[in-house]
Amino acid sequence: MSRTPRISRRAAAAAVTVALAGGAAACGPTSGDAGADATPHKGGTLTVLNQAPQDNFDPARQYTTGGGDIPGLVFRTLTTRERANGAEGTKVVPDLATDTGEPSKNATVWTYHLKSGLKFQDGTAITSADIKYGIERSFAPELSGGPPYFRDWLVGAENYQGPYKDKHGLDSIETPNASTIVFHLTKPEGDFPYLATMTQFSPVPKAKDTGATYYLHPVSSGPYEVTENQNNGTHLVFKRNPYWSAATDSQRKAYPDTIDVQAGLDPAVINQRLETSSGTDADAVTTDTNLGPAELAKINGDKELKSRVGTGHFGETYYLAFNPKVKPFDDIKVREAISYAVNRTSVVNAAGGSSLAEPATTFLPDQATFGYTPYDWFPAGATGNPAKAKELLKEAGYPHGLTITLASSTSDASYQGPAIATAVQDGLKAAGITVRINQIQDDSYSSTVDSVKTEPGVFLGSWGADWPSGGPFLAPIFDGRQIVTDGSNFNNAQLNDAQVNATIDKINAVTDHAEAAKEWGALDKQLGQRALTVPLFHPVYERLYGKNIRNVVISDWDGRVDVADVAVK
Amino acid sequence: MSAQDLLAGAAPSTAGEAAPAAGARQVWRRLRARKSALAGIVVIALLLLVAVCAPLLTAIEGQDPTTYHDSLLNSAAGGVPVGPFGGISGAHWLGVEPGSGRDLFARLVYGSQVSLLVAVGATLVEVVIGVVVGLAAGLGNKLLDQFLGHTTDVMLALPSLVFAIALMAVVPSGFPRPLLLTLVIGLLGWGGTARVVRAQTLTLKELDYVSAARLGGSSRWRIARRELLPSLAAPVITYAALLLPSNVASEAGLSFLGVGVKPPTSSWGQMLSSATTWFQSDPTYVLLPAAFLFVTTFAFTVVGDAVRTALDPRAASRLRVGTGRAKKRGNDTKRGNDAQRGNDTKRGGDAKQASADAKGAAA
Repeated sequence: MSRTPRISRRAAAAAVTVALAGGAAACGPTSGDAGADATPHKGGTLTVLNQAPQDNFDPARQYTTGGGDIPGLVFRTLTTRERANGAEGTKVVPDLATDTGEPSKNATVWTYHLKSGLKFQDGTAITSADIKYGIERSFAPELSGGPPYFRDWLVGAENYQGPYKDKHGLDSIETPNASTIVFHLTKPEGDFPYLATMTQFSPVPKAKDTGATYYLHPVSSGPYEVTENQNNGTHLVFKRNPYWSAATDSQRKAYPDTIDVQAGLDPAVINQRLETSSGTDADAVTTDTNLGPAELAKINGDKELKSRVGTGHFGETYYLAFNPKVKPFDDIKVREAISYAVNRTSVVNAAGGSSLAEPATTFLPDQATFGYTPYDWFPAGATGNPAKAKELLKEAGYPHGLTITLASSTSDASYQGPAIATAVQDGLKAAGITVRINQIQDDSYSSTVDSVKTEPGVFLGSWGADWPSGGPFLAPIFDGRQIVTDGSNFNNAQLNDAQVNATIDKINAVTDHAEAAKEWGALDKQLGQRALTVPLFHPVYERLYGKNIRNVVISDWDGRVDVADVAVK
Repeated sequence: MSAQDLLAGAAPSTAGEAAPAAGARQVWRRLRARKSALAGIVVIALLLLVAVCAPLLTAIEGQDPTTYHDSLLNSAAGGVPVGPFGGISGAHWLGVEPGSGRDLFARLVYGSQVSLLVAVGATLVEVVIGVVVGLAAGLGNKLLDQFLGHTTDVMLALPSLVFAIALMAVVPSGFPRPLLLTLVIGLLGWGGTARVVRAQTLTLKELDYVSAARLGGSSRWRIARRELLPSLAAPVITYAALLLPSNVASEAGLSFLGVGVKPPTSSWGQMLSSATTWFQSDPTYVLLPAAFLFVTTFAFTVVGDAVRTALDPRAASRLRVGTGRAKKRGNDTKRGNDAQRGNDTKRGGDAKQASADAKGAAA
């Protein structure tokens, strides 16, 4: 729940309060460079004010995108995200490895070579065996929390229980020598370099592994090491790792000498402290707290404050999700009518206004890296097309209107609560559709909507990217083989179409990202015609930082002020 | 107010006011005499009128509580209403809600329906259950008394807010929310009333006229109905008058915590809850529901307090006997005062005696 980066699980999406996303590919951070007028210098203490604690600070237990913010300070990985503004920042670049990976012809075997001169915080050399061990231990049941891909993708990993129980390890990860590592996959995966950004690809020295307590003193491969960890990540202090060398790391600038992470704070408190910027708060940023609508209204008239807001986009879509197994949503005409009737202006305002949300008509976020291909099959305009919706309802056999029940969470914090639901409700009213809102307790919302047994007919859904590519965005939602009948099921429409499944397999084998993106976009456009979701909006990050913060970099990969790059002097 | 205080305050009525019809007129006269009580009554009457006439009032304004007005918001600035004081205009008398543009006057006026309905309903539930349980405990055998007594103790000891939140959360969302709120608040809050009624019943049933009725062959039900209930009216009304404002606050509290009425229904607590973050950028939005809530609870409290005083012959006689606040007045109307004193001496004395008895019984 506290994983800093956004992940595609709804559970986490609901937990990270105002972690937003979105994405106009063209417009990167607008005011992100404002603090960079002065040249950044080394030294000082960077303070990070966060809501969610950085709990279970073990590379096996983190679920990050692009290696995460704070985890990325300590855990270097085979590849990482490019620390650059805007769309440039959606690129995957080598980190511990010399390149982003050499695929075999059909993308089922991936080979990496390590840079030379890589060292742990104790001065010992980092070897490929350490990386292999790091991945293997993420299979141990006591180190749960990581992403599910390893079990699916690595040959023979399906029932692997980790190195504590099975000393032999995984044969599908080969280490022919100390600087080479080879992965054998069950199926072609062109996105493997993106997966290799996750903290599970960070080296763990077997001799120093303490199992379930490793999170207290993880061995650093990055520019900082953990010197203090209170209450499982509520207060973390990082100091420089003397054995890290900038010569082997082109991504992390590591300006501050110390980084002090304080979590467990209320979002209003974080924003108030950043706004006031007094004392150490002048050297502070947040990695998980957005400005709320009321705070934006206040900042709007204040030039000084406005210059300290970083705008970022993270690939995420909020939408109405239909369950076509429930009447009347089995009828595509009803689904189309709702698509026509929806008033996106009201919805965007309910999400905090046009600064915090951009109206969406596509399921994929509007960034090139996802393969964004514009389409609007059921044009509702800015405020809805009730006439067309009524016409379709009539054709569907509801000439006198229709009453539906929309499920929402009880909490507005995750954009799936009553505020959005009532905005949808008011929009559909004009088309003669009466919406009753069924509020589901926030803590059981995702388990209710993501179970085929309890899934409502229509509900407020969201999906975020594990990495900026169409694959992890479309496959879990529309791949028929990913329907889970007894557990978390994200294919909410329960679509199982042989042609769609085959297309997903075909694109997964493409190793050229630009080409794959184009095809994901085409698939998204084709899926959109089925009206299985009504895309509502892509959120935008608006985040305040302290007065002294310089060298602000906000990539479209995660949309946040990069803690590895900011300076306080 | 504890049950003990109430007993002390309300007990004298047992001796003093056997005829409730005359008492009611007298109480009304005493209430009217207090300016604060009168003002409170006027405010409550106005609020009731507003709640009843909500559809009419919003029709006059030309708005309704659920329609969105996106054009009235500055979307880029977080959806704050355009214009001064939260977008107050001829079309929207009290401005609009940030983020949705819904009319605040309409939402406040309709919100009063929920607040008042739930508060009054919950108070009725509390009074009915409290009186039934209290009477049954007071008149029943030892076993029943013990059982009901312990049940009441449990009700009083329950952390009612926590329980209310839990109950509101587990009931299926198809159940009408205002009714659910009424029941939850009412069912969790009857303990105090039951205690007071039981103690009163125990005192009353030893009195001569009740004994006479019993000897005359009246059934327990008849005694409860004909002999006890009229005398219980004063303490129960007093207690109910003080429960009302606390129930208004309870409803607001539950709605504030997000377990109250369902959207798009408005309630003051729900409005206040969504307004809290806006106190700097749109103060009007926060002040309006806060002011309505404050005025309502304040008016109910003032009236409740006045009702208690009016029903309390001790306090009333104190006014006339010339002690306390009435003392200064007493100087130049000496004769009148004396005359009144003469009239009331006996009753006042009785009342004090009864009060002491009741205290003894309670202890």
